[in-house]
Amino acid sequence: MEQPVLLFGWFRWDILVEYKDLFWQGAWMTLRMTVVCVLLGASWGLCLALARLAQARHAPWTWLTRVFLRWPATVYVSFFRGTPLFVQILLIHFAVMPVFIHPSTGLLIDGDLARTLKQEHGALISGVVALTLNSAAYISEVFRAGIQSISRGQFDAGRSLGFSPAQVMRYVVLPQAFRRMLPPLGNNAIALLKDTSLVSAIGLAELAYAARTVAGAYARYWEPYLAISVVYWVMTLVLTTLLRRLEHRLARSDRG
Amino acid sequence: MNSLRRALALGLAAASLTFGAQAQAQNRELTVASSATYAPFAFENKDKQIVGFDIDIINAIAKQQGLKIKVVNTPFTGIFGALNNGDVDLVISGVTINEKRKQSYDFTPPYFAARQLIALPKNSTVTSLKDLTGKKIAVVSASTADDIASREFGKTSPNIRRFESTPLIISELAGGGVDAAMGDNGVIAYRVAQHAELKTLDDKSFPEEGFGIVVKKGDKALLDKLSAGLAAIRADGSYVTIYKKWFNKDPNVR
Repeated sequence: MEQPVLLFGWFRWDILVEYKDLFWQGAWMTLRMTVVCVLLGASWGLCLALARLAQARHAPWTWLTRVFLRWPATVYVSFFRGTPLFVQILLIHFAVMPVFIHPSTGLLIDGDLARTLKQEHGALISGVVALTLNSAAYISEVFRAGIQSISRGQFDAGRSLGFSPAQVMRYVVLPQAFRRMLPPLGNNAIALLKDTSLVSAIGLAELAYAARTVAGAYARYWEPYLAISVVYWVMTLVLTTLLRRLEHRLARSDRG
Repeated sequence: MNSLRRALALGLAAASLTFGAQAQAQNRELTVASSATYAPFAFENKDKQIVGFDIDIINAIAKQQGLKIKVVNTPFTGIFGALNNGDVDLVISGVTINEKRKQSYDFTPPYFAARQLIALPKNSTVTSLKDLTGKKIAVVSASTADDIASREFGKTSPNIRRFESTPLIISELAGGGVDAAMGDNGVIAYRVAQHAELKTLDDKSFPEEGFGIVVKKGDKALLDKLSAGLAAIRADGSYVTIYKKWFNKDPNVR
């Protein structure tokens, strides 16, 4: 193994090389988690935002939308924004999941399927569920703010052209709101990418898990944590660049 | 002339400072790291005090040797890092003495005889460590069990699941997330006793090991005091009293 002595004579490349499989698997896991959770979180977040904005004009619909849509969505968002993600991950993995998926006592799935699911993908499922539920709460606020930022006149204009409320949302409000929502959505995606590191607490082999394992085995901290810092940084840079391109394209199409 | 006097005065001041520091080092408070998720060896009670067998042992040794100590709760994964950094002076945290660790740290003679123990679901057909090949196994990060599993199944094997503490590996096993959990006998037996659906497996191939108190490599003065203190509390019977208090039986070594 060639060691670049000039700068980092003390830097033990060999232990990174020894654990390189774990780092590669970890990076791949982090990337997949982020993509899946961004997509699921955005979908669920949009549902939540629409539930929070739901309005009806006539009884009993006014009452029903309030009790079954607006209030639950508000409580949900406040809970997931108001408690630490780390706590949510542990709660979901060690408390909620075993109730539904358990080899002998699972309410939803039990038996061999539950065993296989839990053993092959248990931490991944819990991690994805926790991150999705959490990020959806934040994303729903972005959507809500975005939608509310479009002036009431746009909605009325759409209605007067004969669009239904749903059509106004789809063709008039959301396209305009989306451009304003893009930067905060990007922030959310970057936060999510970094938050995946918390899932190492439940034994999911992502990047932070790889670093923790190496640090534990050698009691060395520079090498593993600097290495994963660089990987996270590169990932967020790529994400930032992609988002900036998308923003520019949307701005261009808007002008022209 | 003037500058010479100043230099002299400065030198004197510096000398007295170093002397003062040395004198203080003689009986300054020693910081002890222990990971308090390791009942019955070290855990936090409801008053947020760290208690357990390890804690009683180190307190008895400190008292015997006239050392002032303060125990700080440190996650096991970071415990050797804390010792390396000088954040703590010694570690007592169910640390198994082994050759690899002896290269980097110094150990007292064993104060507890330990073996590895495997926890399994009651209906498991596993009868030895070898049977766990290809199965998922939970261990505490950087523990002896982690070392054994890494050696047996490969350091980067996806079948090894590493967690921060023993309660988590037992929870993961009880939740059906892994086929087995492995750790030191004292804690595994203690935790499995709380779960009716689990059992333990003692693989005869596991070597007899011991827990030792850890100091920085070369910290001979402290190591000698700790070893002497340990020998003394064994001799005067206080060791047996502490052992019975936590394990309800007579010591299994000497």
